[in-house]
Amino acid sequence: MGLYDNMRNEPVRSLRLRKPVTLPPTSSVRDAVELMRSRRLGCTIIVDDDGKPLGMFTESMLTKMLATLVSFLDDPLEQHMATRWPHVRDDDPVRLVLEIMQTRNIRFICVVDEEGRLVGLTGQKGLLEYIADHFPEQIMVQRIGTSPYMHSREGA
Amino acid sequence: MLDETPEDDFRDPLSNYDPPTYRDPLEQALAEDPVTEIQYAPFATAPPSMTVSEAVRKLAELRAGCLLIEEDERLVGVFTDRDILDKIALEFGEVKDRPVSEFMTPKVVYVHETDPSASALAVMSVGNYRHVPLLDLNEKILGVVGPYRVTRYLQSRFES
Repeated sequence: MGLYDNMRNEPVRSLRLRKPVTLPPTSSVRDAVELMRSRRLGCTIIVDDDGKPLGMFTESMLTKMLATLVSFLDDPLEQHMATRWPHVRDDDPVRLVLEIMQTRNIRFICVVDEEGRLVGLTGQKGLLEYIADHFPEQIMVQRIGTSPYMHSREGA
Repeated sequence: MLDETPEDDFRDPLSNYDPPTYRDPLEQALAEDPVTEIQYAPFATAPPSMTVSEAVRKLAELRAGCLLIEEDERLVGVFTDRDILDKIALEFGEVKDRPVSEFMTPKVVYVHETDPSASALAVMSVGNYRHVPLLDLNEKILGVVGPYRVTRYLQSRFES
């Protein structure tokens, strides 16, 4: 079976999901930035007491806020979060992740269980790791660095 | 002498060549498509002397995730949403008038126009970079490949 078929048949939970950064809606933007820095992740999911996602706060929203607002770091996250957040269920096909990323130009997608509780985060990284796992002979052999080829001849 | 060389002495140097075989059309595309098959323009550049506040405003206005920092037509760094999160967001008041070169990521992992499309995917999946600058063989900037452009490329190869 080719990758296309696998993506239609394999569930989202077969991706390497990332553990999301979560905060309650009353936490400040500053709390979110500090947590995103320490966890090296570009988004925070705002959740209710039952762990259900209420909204999303991303680093691109932060850039926009820095460009347009004077003071916001101590505002509660609920004032600034996006309430329409993209999500898939963990038993949806992997292909749905590609479709959502392609049609909505977003970087992070929440993965929820059948009860709507947050179980992980995926996006560009998870999807490309999945493709790299399928084609290691093509992707894992590439040189990665600031100088992909020799600029001068070796030897004499 | 040339005339005395028997005709059947000729050996085809490619007689043992086995062309590569691929399990999947996407695998073939990753190996054989040049990275320029992925959309890489338009792209946004800025000089290293641009102030942090100007660079942040430019990223926000263009709704872009990455500025290529260019000096004398050479790529000297990238300035991304992640740099803003990590080094600027909490310190904006103190750093907004400083040059962006102090906060950019200076060692940029890039690909050349002749590399296969798989190289851009490798930089993203293995190298863990979200934006991959694309240079020509004279190291001049041609553009940048980001997540949306890669997913659109993958989608187009699935459909073809």
